[in-house]
Amino acid sequence: MPDNADTQAVVRYLEQSHEKIFESNRAWVAAKKGQDPEFFTKLSAGQSPDYLYIGCSDSRVPANEIMGLDAGEVFVHRNIANVVPTIDLSAMSVINYAVRHLKVKHIVVCGHYNCGGVKAALTPTDLGILNPWLRNIRDVYRLHEKELDAIKDGEERFNRLVELNVVESCRSVIKTAVVQQSYQENHYPIVHGWVFNLKDGLLRDLKIDFEGMLADIQKIYNLTSTE
Amino acid sequence: MATSDRLTTALGQNKAWAAKIAKEHPDLFPKLATRQQPEILWIGCSDSRCPETTLLGLKPGDVFVHRNIANVLHPADLSSSAVIEYSVRHLGVKHVVVCGHTKCGGVAAAMGNKQLGILDPWLLPLRQLREDNLEALQSLPADKAATRLTELNVIAGVKTLKQQSVVLEAMQKGLKVHGLVYDVGSGVLQELDTSESDEVVKKRFASFKTVA
Repeated sequence: MPDNADTQAVVRYLEQSHEKIFESNRAWVAAKKGQDPEFFTKLSAGQSPDYLYIGCSDSRVPANEIMGLDAGEVFVHRNIANVVPTIDLSAMSVINYAVRHLKVKHIVVCGHYNCGGVKAALTPTDLGILNPWLRNIRDVYRLHEKELDAIKDGEERFNRLVELNVVESCRSVIKTAVVQQSYQENHYPIVHGWVFNLKDGLLRDLKIDFEGMLADIQKIYNLTSTE
Repeated sequence: MATSDRLTTALGQNKAWAAKIAKEHPDLFPKLATRQQPEILWIGCSDSRCPETTLLGLKPGDVFVHRNIANVLHPADLSSSAVIEYSVRHLGVKHVVVCGHTKCGGVAAAMGNKQLGILDPWLLPLRQLREDNLEALQSLPADKAATRLTELNVIAGVKTLKQQSVVLEAMQKGLKVHGLVYDVGSGVLQELDTSESDEVVKKRFASFKTVA
């Protein structure tokens, strides 16, 4: 990549890398058709994914790829630091559509170690429009302040905050009316919390206690009664 | 219920995937562990049939991703704004792609008149486009009309993107913004013409560009 000193060179570079994308898309299409000539025809008929994946926008964590899944198998929402804020219409619309209309069986919230969003929330820096978004993560710290403060090693504390942020996002998903109602009716979806390790590409299941968490939040957040 | 088996399967497949990447690209995970340097921000639909990294034939680390219902860009949506701010200002991506797709459920919902609860406010921009283009859309058969609304939504998304000062600033340094439509029936990506006259560009910069 040339420095921006030479504008023409930048433009040329961008045009080339852009063309490459269409080329590799065509190569992927050809490979898929080679394996199964009906692959796209089948997908064209509709989607019925088992999973909703809520993860980070980070380029290093491509949702379906890390799960070894193909096109059509996982419905995906990705935002900064896999946060699920109560009043975020974007995430709430995704959860609603996935549960009510696609009837997904699992909802996975997947965080990853060395997350830039979580890291930023651990610094005293003013990041403009990112502040309100990252405040959700600072709130996770406040909820688990004792546990986090007790961790002396900075990197370990960062890792634990990544995990706790996943746990709190799971709790937020479970609080939605659509998840509570569907679970009561159908015994799905089940909510899971995972963490992805960038160093080796492996996923770790945090094994959150879905049933316990659901029972716990329903004292206050129960929305299963429809009139 | 066999659902937990399916989940175990996904975790097992992850092991296979990690081993495959490590074998094909031994330097990739060690490199990615320290930092990401994606050149592309992809704003696409949550639809399971549109897995960006897979359909672009790219690797982990190549594409920063935001996916929501029907790849709608609301000007005041904090989620997409945070993604754009982080990837354009802090990561310095070189391309931003807004990608819609055929057979989109969100688009189909906006072409219908069924009440959908919390999804209704999310789909408002699509209904606005439907209203603005009502006659043209009504003159088309249903599937063509839906595809047309997908295109209009992508063009509108590109416009909303370019109304963010951080994007305009980066465009002056070479950032490119693209509008794409993905055909789920063939797997092929197509670029839409989102070119503009100098006058339109000038007006936009005059109106939307802000400085610190």
